[in-house]
Amino acid sequence: MHKLYTFLKYTFITLWTVFIVAPFLWAISTSFKDFQSVNSKVTYIPWLDFEPTLEGWRVLVKSPARGGVDIVEPYFNSIFVTCTASLISIILGTLAAYALSRFTFKAGFVRNNDITFFFISQRIMPPIVLSIPFFIFLSTIGLLDSLLGLVVVYIVLLMPIAVWIMVDFFNRVPKELDETALIDGCNPYQAFYKVVLPNSIPGLIVAGMFCIIFGWIDFFFAFILTFTEVQLLPVKVVALNSSITPWWSLSASALISVAPLIIVAFVVERYLSKGNLSGALK
Amino acid sequence: MNLIGKNITYKPDTQFHLNDVSFDFKKGNLYTILGRTLSGKTTFLKTIAGLLNPDTGELFFEDKDFSKIPVWERNVAMVYQQFINYPHLNVYENIIFPLKQRKLSEEQIKMDVEDALKTVGLVGFENRKIQELSGGQQQRVALARSLAKKAKILLLDEPLVNLDYKLREQLREEFKRIFSEGLSQDTILIYSTTDPQEVMELNGEVIVLHEGKVLQKGDAKEIFENPKNLKVAEISNDPPMNILTGSKSSDKLTFENISINLPAYLKDLKSQNYYFGIRASEIKLDKEGEEFEIELAEISGSETLLHLKKGNSKVIALIEEVMNFKIHEKVKVKFNENKFYVFNNNEELVSSPYGSHNG
Amino acid sequence: MNFKHKFVFLFPGLFVLIGILIFPIIFTIRLSLSGWNSYTPEMNFIGITNYIRLFTDDPRFWESFFRLSFLSVTTVILQYVIGFALALMVWREIKFKRFFRVIFLIPMMTTPVIMTVIWRTFFHESLGPVNDLLGNIGIKPILWLSDPVIAKFTVIIVEVWQWTPFMFLLLLAGLLSLPKEPFLAAAIDGASPFRKFVYVTFPLMAPISIGAIIIRLIEASKIMDTVFVLTSGGPGTATETSSFYIYIKGLREFQMGYAATLSFTYLVIMIISLTIIAKVLTKLMIKE
Repeated sequence: MHKLYTFLKYTFITLWTVFIVAPFLWAISTSFKDFQSVNSKVTYIPWLDFEPTLEGWRVLVKSPARGGVDIVEPYFNSIFVTCTASLISIILGTLAAYALSRFTFKAGFVRNNDITFFFISQRIMPPIVLSIPFFIFLSTIGLLDSLLGLVVVYIVLLMPIAVWIMVDFFNRVPKELDETALIDGCNPYQAFYKVVLPNSIPGLIVAGMFCIIFGWIDFFFAFILTFTEVQLLPVKVVALNSSITPWWSLSASALISVAPLIIVAFVVERYLSKGNLSGALK
Repeated sequence: MNLIGKNITYKPDTQFHLNDVSFDFKKGNLYTILGRTLSGKTTFLKTIAGLLNPDTGELFFEDKDFSKIPVWERNVAMVYQQFINYPHLNVYENIIFPLKQRKLSEEQIKMDVEDALKTVGLVGFENRKIQELSGGQQQRVALARSLAKKAKILLLDEPLVNLDYKLREQLREEFKRIFSEGLSQDTILIYSTTDPQEVMELNGEVIVLHEGKVLQKGDAKEIFENPKNLKVAEISNDPPMNILTGSKSSDKLTFENISINLPAYLKDLKSQNYYFGIRASEIKLDKEGEEFEIELAEISGSETLLHLKKGNSKVIALIEEVMNFKIHEKVKVKFNENKFYVFNNNEELVSSPYGSHNG
Repeated sequence: MNFKHKFVFLFPGLFVLIGILIFPIIFTIRLSLSGWNSYTPEMNFIGITNYIRLFTDDPRFWESFFRLSFLSVTTVILQYVIGFALALMVWREIKFKRFFRVIFLIPMMTTPVIMTVIWRTFFHESLGPVNDLLGNIGIKPILWLSDPVIAKFTVIIVEVWQWTPFMFLLLLAGLLSLPKEPFLAAAIDGASPFRKFVYVTFPLMAPISIGAIIIRLIEASKIMDTVFVLTSGGPGTATETSSFYIYIKGLREFQMGYAATLSFTYLVIMIISLTIIAKVLTKLMIKE
């Protein structure tokens, strides 16, 4: 009985691992192919099935004028938008989360929980519902097709995540800690940045990671709200897909786009194993 | 120049945390607040600290309206029952934190911290991280931080309750020494606890708090010898004072079919029904005594607590040695007839073995 | 604690969020009452005409909505079952625990559209590896992207690949935060792994499960990127979800007014149904 269970368990884990890794292996293999090895028959292993070439990778850094794809600029655009929006969301979200965790707010029937819910519930908004008015809103204020416009929109996407994680985090920091700081002569702002913040680093890292993930993987807003001036990475890669489909450069650009966040998986796992994530993701 | 509270009430929801509390605390004195869990002790201390704003009432310190001064300008110090220190700072940094906040000179800070470390016995621990310390040591750091501040009001909220038995005894001794040597005559010290023993040993002015209301004020001896009513008698004894319903006749006290010869100090008492109170330590095993059934026997330290039952009455007897009893076993106990407290039907004290009380 | 400083903490975030959102929401409601389209791009007022059209004469929207419901419920159930199984397997000591945890997390870190681009080549009907490998064991090529029924399952496969890790993460974090005592008690009683799961783990995990399912349902209800790249809603309308349909109406056909009507209705339905689902789940999973 126990042996069978162990056998099934490892079988399942192995199959799932294969399923997860399969598209990556396929993409890695494809990125070294050329027209011949993609279109003749299905090939898998370099040198054995086909002669590998670096063409798919080379075009990524060539300018479009010289037949390249040039994903360098979209790459930096994506980094800029994701990091700026994450940073602003974390700062504003952390402050709001602290207020909601520590102080009591009353306005009519509205209580702390209602305000927290208001923040978090913004995640329910389907992107499409927001994108049409944002399209018109940003074109009115002249921020359509600009990095700044995207940052504004991404704040809506990310601040709920920051508030969600940080409210839970602060709820687990004993409020006696801030009270002691107040008694020791800190005003509420000083208590926050001298005592609460230095003890909130794990929470901030978790919240930061999630903001970066959900900022980095967005496609739809970038797709609707930018055209030619600014392009973000996912839009650029998808645009490759709709053209004549050179699978090799498509695979190469896809791999290089998802690579940085895979590092985040290691960080998340670290925090998970240390138990810091447990409360934060209740 | 005192800390004066007038009619302070705080009722955040349906229950009173503080109910019309008034006090007048003088500098250089120690005040203990005795009450059970959730009796409003912490609220009391937090109100003085300024962490809570009472609904009504006034608070004055040194003739100034204290309620107008925010916490961070009040110059109070507080030690919590949880060991609260700044986890991101080491021992030394923890203690200088409030001093740096007040922008004292470097030399002044250094001297104050050294003094405080010496007082709490943590010299040599300056560079330790808080997480590396034991609970007792963490609480010493918290105390050192409070002492180094030389605050005019020092609040201790059940500082020993989360420590184990032995450490509690040891720190309690040290507290007595620190309070008598380490504090200036300028300080008001307010100490809250659930433990009557602590109150007796600290021997300050006592305030008995229950459901946010002050039941009795007085020195420790007064509370112990003349608890104003049943509630105080229960709260100020551990185990709580045994309360028996019975009656007094011309020559006897009777309860639960037990008759006791009337002690001399109760001669003048009107004959009627009363509540009789007797401490657990005044009930002794005695072959000549009354038969009770054992419901539970707890051993704590070097003592045994016997939960006894007879008819509708339950009493607790404190035996000053470790003995093994079986549950449901019958034992015979004798009540010390000279130690009965008598309360009338309004639950107020009418007579005490330590001199009568006009209730 | 109650100081006036509290507003300084709360208001920047609150007002930034409200400030960014207030215009889109009011604008959407107003727009939904207009006939804005590519011929008359103006904010006229046509009352509830759009809403009447939606409720009486637009089966395609309702079909897309039911398709979305099917897709999101199916994927979330699969994600929950697989995610829970995976979380249980790497919860306690197994070999290479941390390695597997990282592997299981990776897909959620990848950009869905970009991975979908890869999946498209993966499921390519003549040049993709899936049909090729199946061909080796004698199975005829499957029309992963062009058969109306199979295409739905292809979308489900990709969604499960992408988002099971998130479910796994939430559930594993939950498992790791559980108190130890109930498990000790069960071990002392000599409960079998199965009984332990049914009587200890699952009930303790119920609140976390509900949270995780709701979070995933919210995210799944926005399924859009995958469909957009993988099938473009096709073949025909076989994989068209509400979001995608609104996108077509609004930003391809430029029937802005009508798209706003769809948006607003869709949002209201989403909020109502998620609230109901949350209530029902709570009732089903938490006894007492």
